[in-house]
Amino acid sequence: MIFLRRQVPLLITLITGIVFAAQYYVPHPASEQMLTSVTKWLQIIGGFALVLGVSSLFHVHAVKIRRKEAGWGYSFVLYVGMLGTIAVGFWTNGKEAIDGTMTAFGWIYNFMMVPLQGTMFAILAFFIASAAYRSFRARSREAAVLLIAAVIVMMGRVPLGEYLIPISGDLSQWILNVLNASVRRAILIGVSLGTVALSIKIIFGKERSYLGGGKE
Amino acid sequence: MTFAERMLKIDRRIIFLVIGICTLLPLLYPVGLPIRISQEVRGVYDHIESLPEGSVFLLSLDFDPASKPELQPQSISLLRHAFRKNLRVIAMTLWVSGTGLADQIVTQVAREMGKESGKDYVFLGWSPGGTAVIINMGQDLYGAFPADYNGKPTKGLSVLQGVASLRDVNYAVSLGAGNPGVEAWYVFGKDKYKFELGGGCTGVMAPGLYPLLRSGQINGLIGGLRGAAEYETLMDQKGRAIAGMDAQSATHLAIIVLVIMCNLFYFSSRNRARQQGG
Repeated sequence: MIFLRRQVPLLITLITGIVFAAQYYVPHPASEQMLTSVTKWLQIIGGFALVLGVSSLFHVHAVKIRRKEAGWGYSFVLYVGMLGTIAVGFWTNGKEAIDGTMTAFGWIYNFMMVPLQGTMFAILAFFIASAAYRSFRARSREAAVLLIAAVIVMMGRVPLGEYLIPISGDLSQWILNVLNASVRRAILIGVSLGTVALSIKIIFGKERSYLGGGKE
Repeated sequence: MTFAERMLKIDRRIIFLVIGICTLLPLLYPVGLPIRISQEVRGVYDHIESLPEGSVFLLSLDFDPASKPELQPQSISLLRHAFRKNLRVIAMTLWVSGTGLADQIVTQVAREMGKESGKDYVFLGWSPGGTAVIINMGQDLYGAFPADYNGKPTKGLSVLQGVASLRDVNYAVSLGAGNPGVEAWYVFGKDKYKFELGGGCTGVMAPGLYPLLRSGQINGLIGGLRGAAEYETLMDQKGRAIAGMDAQSATHLAIIVLVIMCNLFYFSSRNRARQQGG
């Protein structure tokens, strides 16, 4: 059992890791065909992952409802919403419109999901303004630099700011193109090198936490 | 409690009201301040302008309804531009929750421009796999999407004539609200399959994509509502983005004034505390 649970996954990771890292540099038709096949597997696994995610969500909220944990009413709403949408989705064959006429599934999408998601995102503006008022204070030199940069970028990104202070547009572009881009690039390079190091550790079996901590 | 201290603890509902008014008033009474075009947005516009008629243009609408106010105007402008140039348009999404919205946008603009599905454009819809879909399309487009969103087999569609994979795409633009989005299209698409790539994103994401822009990994970037308004200006078609810029101007200014006020009150109360302490 240990062989199946530990050695086999390590072996699969080692072989696929090396083969697909090398595949990128081998443009031979056989190599390309192998990539085509494997990406199809990935799409199929992606489909299964969706089912797994939905069933896991159902399970988590079913437990909450059964135990009547705090906020179980929200879990109930989630259940009703999900089951209702799935039922309507099956009934309309997953189509939001048939011959230009909106189906019930399309109605749920257009008049429930779209406004709900839009509202959630829109109220962020109010909370950001409130948070900025409460916490954006020049308590230190670093905070002052951040504050000045933020004000310049906010001015330079809107027509009214450019109208009031014409140089704010160019200053804002300079901050984004030079300061921001260079710092972001440094972070990106660091993250990428870290990812490469971690991948090597996973491929060669040094990092095994992805196998889980079950009993051996 | 001093005035400054009281102001620092102001009821947040007053701030909400200020932001609400600053959003609503410019929408009701637009001012229409001129919008300056940035090099990033011009990069995308100029590249589409340079494409010859019949070129293959792929638009990936990688967002959901939460980002609709910023990315829908970008999508509409890009599609109008592509259709006006008589490009062959392949539209798709990597976000399952954005499929219906993407379909509506593509269908609406195509109808407005008198374009026919299957002949002038195709909406492929969504396919599971996230970034793997990009690789799959790079290897075999028909394997990744055997049928379009309406269930029509993709093989044989006149709009896809001569298109076997992403290698045959002349220009691709990803309008991303997160992952998978612009970065995924670069890493898994452009780098291997060698097509030109442009990007569009929400305002909060734009600073994170500047490194890709400066290094030429993407040839242009439409950032947030401002980017969409710039594109509408270039297209000379006033739309939702230009209409929203006045509201964005007013809210930005309101936040700046609030931040300055809070700092004035903060320093005033700090100085007072020091004087009392010393």
